[in-house]
Amino acid sequence: MSLAGVEMVFFLPVLLLLYWIGPRRIGWQNPLLLLASILFFASWTPRLLPILAISILVDWILGRALDAAPEDANPTPRRRLLFGTSLAFNLCLLGFFKYAGFFAASLNDLFTAMGLPPSLPVLRLVLPIGISYWTLSKLAYVADVYWGRLRACRSLLTFALHASFFPQLIAGPIVRGQELLPQWSRPRHLTPSLVAGGASAFLLGFALKAWAADWLGMAIATPIFSEPLIYSRGARWIGLLAYAGQIFGDFAGYSFLAIGVGRFFGVELPLNFRYPFLSRSLPELWTRWHITLNRWLFDYIYGPLTTGESFFRGRFELGFLVVFLASGLWHGAQWTFVLWGLLHGLGLVVHFRWDAFYKSRCRRDRKWVAVRRGAPYAVSAWVITQLFFVLTLIPFRTPTLAAAGEYFRLLFVRGGHVGLPIGDLESLANFLAIAAFLLGYHVLELDRLRGLRDRVLGLPAPVRGIALGLVIVFFLIFVPVGLGTFIYAEF
Amino acid sequence: MTDANVRQVVIDWLDDNVHFGEAESLITDDEMSFLDHGILTSLGFVQLIVHLEDTFRIKLERKDLTRENFDSLAKIVKYVTAHPGYRATA
Repeated sequence: MSLAGVEMVFFLPVLLLLYWIGPRRIGWQNPLLLLASILFFASWTPRLLPILAISILVDWILGRALDAAPEDANPTPRRRLLFGTSLAFNLCLLGFFKYAGFFAASLNDLFTAMGLPPSLPVLRLVLPIGISYWTLSKLAYVADVYWGRLRACRSLLTFALHASFFPQLIAGPIVRGQELLPQWSRPRHLTPSLVAGGASAFLLGFALKAWAADWLGMAIATPIFSEPLIYSRGARWIGLLAYAGQIFGDFAGYSFLAIGVGRFFGVELPLNFRYPFLSRSLPELWTRWHITLNRWLFDYIYGPLTTGESFFRGRFELGFLVVFLASGLWHGAQWTFVLWGLLHGLGLVVHFRWDAFYKSRCRRDRKWVAVRRGAPYAVSAWVITQLFFVLTLIPFRTPTLAAAGEYFRLLFVRGGHVGLPIGDLESLANFLAIAAFLLGYHVLELDRLRGLRDRVLGLPAPVRGIALGLVIVFFLIFVPVGLGTFIYAEF
Repeated sequence: MTDANVRQVVIDWLDDNVHFGEAESLITDDEMSFLDHGILTSLGFVQLIVHLEDTFRIKLERKDLTRENFDSLAKIVKYVTAHPGYRATA
């Protein structure tokens, strides 16, 4: 069951009805949402439900123990032990399910290269759905309690709901205790703004996911990435851009769906995407793309690493490499993701050095400050950033490093005779409409055009209602529900 | 050292590393949010924290590294000047 799937058409209305006709008390609302979250998890991997339950129980107990342990300016050995236990437990659990097979296969490859027999068993385990997301969310909670930034949650039921709330369970946003725990402690009430906010986020998410991402993936990106040799050079580039649109639509779409569903229940989840294709630098990109993962990586790895007392203190560039290698591995147990992470770590190092070099010029001559604020600098920075981002999506999409290298090479050599895999007028219209939608979504955020968007959004409610109704009718007629998979749910 | 010193250290760092001599004019109000107004990104915060620790020879508590303590000039000045390590050397 997914938020854009057919089952949700039955699951969500029934749940909303029970939720809102019942008493507006947390004693009713929280257990109901927890039960729904358990059902949601069980619809994916029912046999692995005990894994989620045990991991929640362990972190709840450790959080409570941390709260009870005396706090000092320096963490006491007892607090260190409790935090270390949570860290080891969560990383071992994640490592076992997600990386055991990868490391065993990689070591076997190494043995083979050295002329030794590959002797390690390669496990192919079914992942508990969303393990990469709820593990980070629970780790953030325990770290915040350890650092004294958050009081431990007293109720096991509330903590279980916090860790498993179904809209964000399988693909984020990765929430923090400070954001969600206070919301569980007060009853939620139904308000018109909540319904309107939820509906608009849900509709945007649905359009991005079920229309843009699924169509771009099935009609353009998948055929071209499957047989790049037969396609023309231009088609290969468009295939890559279509994949960028697909992965944005897929993940931002799911995030907006989660935010919308959360609002239907009176719960506000954090924003996960903010017009990433407007970014003019890699640091800016990472504050716009998968925001909750990147703030997790920077707040819980990069910050402690570069401001702590270890070897990494002040070594900001090395910190980038560590963080993005971790990010690459988090995305998947494959060398292609490691390469993707390494490229982005290196990209940030290059940006950091360029920034330092440019600052030195600015200090010598203030004309460089003006140059930096000019349109040519902005456009160049945008092109370089977006080109880098899109090119690094190649290892994100291809199954092997060799395939990634081959696709990259094919972007610059003469291609086959097949153009875009668009066979009829309807496909062409869909392609152009999706391109216009993704472009318009971003462009209307620009300073000059934001006023226009706000005026449209500020139209009288009946006009907006009719427009949204027409959009829904369009989706009902032209957009098949539940055909695609969620790329990010596989992480 | 005084509150004005801490304020100046932050302004100098912003001038030298982010806004090239225009930090003072960009920060129209000492209570203005750095993150909301694009004065500093979270990456910049990390570098500023290391700079503050090295300049004032203090160790900032991990639990205190929050938006509530560091998201504006006024908050940074208030936090640093109240820090026991800072008061010991001031």
